[in-house]
Amino acid sequence: MLLEVRGLTKRFMGLTAVSDVSFTVEPGEIMGIIGPNGSGKTTLLSMMAGLLAPTAGAVRWQGEEIQHLRPDVIAARGIVKTFQNPQVFAELTVFDNAMVATHLALKRSRGARRLGELVGLGRAAERTLAGQVAEALALCNLGGATRQLAGNLSYGEEKMLGLAMALMCRPRLLLLDEPASGLGREEIDNLVAVLTKVHAAGATLCIVDHKVGFLRGIARRVIALDHGEKIAEGPPEAVLENPAVIEAYLGRAHAPA
Amino acid sequence: MILRLVLWSALYALPIFVRSDFLLTILIFTFIYGMLGVTLDLIFGFTGQLSMFHPAVFGVSAYMTYLLASKAGLPFWLATIPSALTAVVLAMIVGSICFKFRLKTFYFAVVTLAFAEVIRLVVLNWNSVTNGTLGLVVTGRPTVWLPGMGVVAIKGPVAWYYLTLVSLTLTVIVCARCLSSWMGRCFGAIRLNEDLARTLGIDVFRYKLASFAVGNALASFAGGLYGYYTAYIDPGYLSINQSMDVLAMVLLGGQGTLIGPIVGSLVLTSLPHVIDLRAEARAILYGAILIFTILVMPRGIVGTFNAWRARRAA
Repeated sequence: MLLEVRGLTKRFMGLTAVSDVSFTVEPGEIMGIIGPNGSGKTTLLSMMAGLLAPTAGAVRWQGEEIQHLRPDVIAARGIVKTFQNPQVFAELTVFDNAMVATHLALKRSRGARRLGELVGLGRAAERTLAGQVAEALALCNLGGATRQLAGNLSYGEEKMLGLAMALMCRPRLLLLDEPASGLGREEIDNLVAVLTKVHAAGATLCIVDHKVGFLRGIARRVIALDHGEKIAEGPPEAVLENPAVIEAYLGRAHAPA
Repeated sequence: MILRLVLWSALYALPIFVRSDFLLTILIFTFIYGMLGVTLDLIFGFTGQLSMFHPAVFGVSAYMTYLLASKAGLPFWLATIPSALTAVVLAMIVGSICFKFRLKTFYFAVVTLAFAEVIRLVVLNWNSVTNGTLGLVVTGRPTVWLPGMGVVAIKGPVAWYYLTLVSLTLTVIVCARCLSSWMGRCFGAIRLNEDLARTLGIDVFRYKLASFAVGNALASFAGGLYGYYTAYIDPGYLSINQSMDVLAMVLLGGQGTLIGPIVGSLVLTSLPHVIDLRAEARAILYGAILIFTILVMPRGIVGTFNAWRARRAA
């Protein structure tokens, strides 16, 4: 297994946002996490990416406990998260946004040699990265907007830029927090195409969404959360027919007796 | 780019046409304060950390460079190296404490100010070394080796003009190199969105410290020069006023640009000479200019000019 979440719990004061959740992520799979609003999906993902410290429990990445590591260290290991509300550097151009995200790639490829760039060496590495950035942006349908300020993008474009930046980090496990929310029909189709391509290139995906239809199309395995607890796990169809899941989404009246 | 080259060339050619000591003196002060402004801008305008630590390294280096030269007999240039290293060590200590506790904006400003004040008090009260409030009279001159002329001492306005101008140019080049590389991208990412920078794998603590250390090391050199140029050092070099003056230059000229702080330095160093004012009136004028700038053109002179050019080009 690539990643193991064991007994993960997060309490904010009196509120238990995530309660004793355990699951695994296998290499090369696309897994989904579903649940109604406020069920603890984002909190769970934030803990996996090191943005929040868990109250209890452990996250193991290839056997190593990582829940106490800083987010940048976790990103360097290959776990990269995108945000539900798109986060971009609003004052930079789309291209420069993605160039910032090449930090890890440059660090991996050149190590301490990148200090040579300060005296003008290593322009070739920079050009290679710029080429990869252009590719990633084109892939995310932002090829025509590279010179625009990120702050002027539409919500959907900002989201795709967030994804492009995450891709530039060359993630081994990509954590996506509601990537489809706020996107139009065509944008979702493009998103699915991008994610399929990224997956085919070897990345493992873990996608949080409450849009069940979107996840059903792409994930092979789904876990369902409600009130911070895991209530079901399995193939999407089975999970969606699970009475506990139906109740969580639609209320008791709709649950089969 | 061309405009910048023309401006720099004009500065280098100026003493050929202008022999006025008055003007050259103003420009020498402009260049030294410009070095402080540019390096503060690296930390504040580009990395987003409002540092009030500049006068501390400026003053400490002024003292150290002179004391090492006079007591230990080091040549000026050799004496600036331990001074710069001291600045780096001080910046590392203060920066580590501030950045570990994730101090930002005004909290960072206040804590760096407090550290600078502690260092000022040490300098003020360490009579046996610093001569306390009386200060030190700096004797001796920096020397440089010039092709065809051998070792010459820097004296007279023209020599000082070139020494400080070259120092400023080098400071700007070092900052520009940092900023145009991946390091500058990290600085900008930290300024604009620290949390996003973290999730993209940028070690925020390390790059904040790098910016703070580079900025302070370069600022220390300005201190060494200033002590020798004015031939006098006193604990006032480390005062809060210095911080405020340099910050005013950066804001007036344009934060987040490398030329802005130099323009700001030119305006604020020449004003009191052009308009003869008493110290109190000067403080009022400074304040008025600062308020005016922040209200009318928050991007400063150069920032506003750049925006105007961009609009015209579009």
